[in-house]
Amino acid sequence: MSASVLVPSVVSPVVVSLYVPAIFTGIIVGLIGLLAISYQKNDLSALILTDIVGIGMLILVAAVGTDLAESLILPGLVVELAEIMAISEILMSREMRKQGEKMGEPGKKVDLIPLPMSLDMEILTTAPAFMAIILIAYGAFLSGFTGGAIAGGGILFYVISKKIRGVPSGMWEGVAGVSGVAWCLWLVGFIIFFAFPDLWLLALFLAAFGIFIKVAFKAGLVGVMGREEFKKE
Amino acid sequence: MDITILGQQLLGYIPLGDIVLYMAPLNLFMFVSALVFTTLIAISRTETQVEAEFGTLKDRGVKVDIKEFKIRRFLAIVCGLATAGAMITGDLFDFTLFVCLIGIVNIGIVSAVKQIDVLNAAFQYGLVAMIATLPLFGGAALILASTGTISLLEIANIPTTAMMAFGSILLLLGVAGETGVAPFYATKAEMFRTPGSPFLLIIHLSSLLVIVRLIEILLIINKPF
Repeated sequence: MSASVLVPSVVSPVVVSLYVPAIFTGIIVGLIGLLAISYQKNDLSALILTDIVGIGMLILVAAVGTDLAESLILPGLVVELAEIMAISEILMSREMRKQGEKMGEPGKKVDLIPLPMSLDMEILTTAPAFMAIILIAYGAFLSGFTGGAIAGGGILFYVISKKIRGVPSGMWEGVAGVSGVAWCLWLVGFIIFFAFPDLWLLALFLAAFGIFIKVAFKAGLVGVMGREEFKKE
Repeated sequence: MDITILGQQLLGYIPLGDIVLYMAPLNLFMFVSALVFTTLIAISRTETQVEAEFGTLKDRGVKVDIKEFKIRRFLAIVCGLATAGAMITGDLFDFTLFVCLIGIVNIGIVSAVKQIDVLNAAFQYGLVAMIATLPLFGGAALILASTGTISLLEIANIPTTAMMAFGSILLLLGVAGETGVAPFYATKAEMFRTPGSPFLLIIHLSSLLVIVRLIEILLIINKPF
């Protein structure tokens, strides 16, 4: 079975011929990342450059260019994010311990950002709301998973820029609660799909907006984690 | 060429939508042993390590407190379940995802410890594991592109091409990095020095079982016999 059999005839030959260059691009991106790691050996640079290697992986998967590849990129991306979060967590906890040991108290916790910096700038009060509104509106327009990610980015941006001042803890619980309700919407949408196929439009909208809100309010989860991490109310 | 290699007999399929799990004696044996081990560590208690210093009497017990113990047990169980899933899946991409999950959870199991050198080792292992996702997913994607399917049951019937062989070499590299076997073992060895032994053993067991399963998958893809 040759590859040409599997490609529908409506696909233009230009797109099909992009496959081999894309594979080479992916591998070259990976090699560049590895080369850069061999030059830049300090830990933080290595971590960031490793992410470039991961992007090479995404290019390789995307090069296949079918529906299946599209659905495979998402787990690839999630795995990539999960790994970089786990590793940066390790890096952070190691550095905090090192700092603590340097001060002579190994058990003591040190600040995450040990800088005498006053983060009280005009832009932190005006920009977040503006950016967040644009991102959330655009996300609502897109709906579904992509829209959820964009709107979630907006909420996260808002919250992170406000966090310097301290976000009230009640807000986090509210956001997490709405996230749970939205997930139920999504589930109900799915059940309607199977139980009453005639109502597919309703099910589609329930599922799309359920997952939109759910993904957007993943920020709530990050916030709850953040509160536990920094013990700030 | 059938999916049953090395004179195995196919005992049955478990069709879960488009994900078809298949059961042959080898897979089933590994699946059951992963589950049994997971159950054992789920009900066991953690050890207390004693750090001795040569020439002095300053021995010090390293205990794992209850919160850390719970997180670590949970992650060890997830690791065991991921290993068990990787044993019987009939889907190449599922396999790579399970392997990635094992890698992430392995980092997680040691991430909460207090020893700096262990955290250092975990960081290095994490970097290798992350780099290894390139050949791992890249190999699976190459095989997908050259066969048009990621179902092992279908791939078993497709004659091997050079692209598939290249893809399976990448897959081998990826799994080696992700589970931290031979060339990358140096990063992982330090991780076993953390207290909390029964949970750490799942790191060993998962990489062993995954390698055995990978060999089976490579035989199915490349059909040397």
